[in-house]
Amino acid sequence: MKLLDLLAPRRPVVAGANSSSWSQPPLDPAYAVPVPFACGYDDGRASLSLLNKARVTQCALSRVCGVCGEGLDRPVAFVGTAAEDGRNAFHFPPLHTRCAERLVATLQDHDLPVPGHDAGEPLTVTCSAFEFVRPTGADLDRRPVFVPVR
Amino acid sequence: MAISDVGAYAHLTPEEVEELGRELDAIRAEIEESRGDGDAAYINRVITIQRRLAASARVTLLASRWKPAWLAGTAMLGVAKILENMEIGHNVMHGQWDWMNDPEIHSSTWEWDTAQPAEQWKHSHNYIHHQFTNVLGHDNDIGYGILRMAREQRWHPANLGQPVYNALLATLFQWGVALHDLDLEAIRRREKDPKVMKRQLRQIGQKVRRQLAKDYLVYPALSGPSWRTTLTADATANLMRNVWAYAIIFCGHFPDGALHFTEEELEDETRSEWYLRQLLGSANFEGGPLLHVLSGNLGFQIEHHLFPDLPSNRYAEIAVKVRALCEKYDLPYTTGPLWKQYGQALRTILKLSLPNRFTAASAPEPIGPEVERGRKPDRERPTRRLETGAWTRASA
Repeated sequence: MKLLDLLAPRRPVVAGANSSSWSQPPLDPAYAVPVPFACGYDDGRASLSLLNKARVTQCALSRVCGVCGEGLDRPVAFVGTAAEDGRNAFHFPPLHTRCAERLVATLQDHDLPVPGHDAGEPLTVTCSAFEFVRPTGADLDRRPVFVPVR
Repeated sequence: MAISDVGAYAHLTPEEVEELGRELDAIRAEIEESRGDGDAAYINRVITIQRRLAASARVTLLASRWKPAWLAGTAMLGVAKILENMEIGHNVMHGQWDWMNDPEIHSSTWEWDTAQPAEQWKHSHNYIHHQFTNVLGHDNDIGYGILRMAREQRWHPANLGQPVYNALLATLFQWGVALHDLDLEAIRRREKDPKVMKRQLRQIGQKVRRQLAKDYLVYPALSGPSWRTTLTADATANLMRNVWAYAIIFCGHFPDGALHFTEEELEDETRSEWYLRQLLGSANFEGGPLLHVLSGNLGFQIEHHLFPDLPSNRYAEIAVKVRALCEKYDLPYTTGPLWKQYGQALRTILKLSLPNRFTAASAPEPIGPEVERGRKPDRERPTRRLETGAWTRASA
């Protein structure tokens, strides 16, 4: 077993080695809670009320978590509203299940909507895969969405 | 040029561009709906063949002191590495097979047989290259930071060495890719977070140590008296993979007809415009099924860039429909034999080692009658950063 293990390519695990690593997240100025990776900007802005479109795209394509910025694992979790669940189209990027649990708990503790939304109770769905859908010229909401493959 | 400078695109009205987007969406939906057991069987079959090929190579190399065994073992090992990197690793990490919900064949778990950690590849390739395809100053795949590949890039005397750099890049491709996500230009500009860089280097170091130990220590040791010939076989197989991967990748974006773009309002780009940029910035090559499998189906580079997360075994059928759409909308569809596509990329490398005044553009840059669509063409926009290499920056 050890020999076989040595002969197969193995993932080198170094915490924070991902370019999107968000190991020391800034605190939300209003609620003093850690801000998810997808809610921060390179210029320092960071708040649970923001959703950075560029980072949403980065999470989708690099396949990193929208909260901690580290590589995703299985299953993939999405946090959204009941309406998003109904449409099967989520604005907040994919997450680790543990990061999704933490995010939902934080939002519920402070009675906050899911980042990128004005209202709505957060809920979590899990899946193995997702489709990243860019907006069309006809869409009023010009933000990309994620379609979980369930 | 910006996408709005492309004559072939400028003749389309905004409505036509959106209609083209809807037709491409329909192709995607059709594949997603029909995706199933046949596709899963395909990737499982490829993985089984690859593993059997690698195992056969290892057994054969036990007798590698005998020249025919060395040749056969090396060839099998080289092909196994090519299959693993191109058709399996690259495509699995794009999430093409995530829908199977297989714990092993999944973008979050696959680690490939090359020096770059999968995690860093998913950033430098899946995000940087696929989101900013052929956008100068953003897409580090344009010349890999060491080659001048677009006339818009500023020339520097160091570019005279391009033929040599190109040969080195081809033979050492694995190591160039390993350093790709470090973003050498950002390091040179001192914009790279030193802590992240240190962690990335540590991660690369871990992967490199394992790869070197596997190929140059453990397998030769297991070959006993054939250790020396097994070691040379491993080095040759890695070289085969390096040169092949380099050639396929350079055929994807640098033959004549594949366009480069300057920085645009990427955040405002619609899905249809994104589709167009992918379509016009990529180039296919023609060949039989075996050639396409060995190249990770990147002979369908256009289709791969339009739908990077659809299963690679479906690109051939998608290509027929995409080509028909290009004819319908009078858009260029860049393709040709592999030798011709690589020849054109090589010609660009050699030509652009010289200043622009000594050479002519290989293909005319069409500026056609334009339809007003709100985005200014390059000539009406401020000058952008055009460098990709440290020396070109230094000469500014």
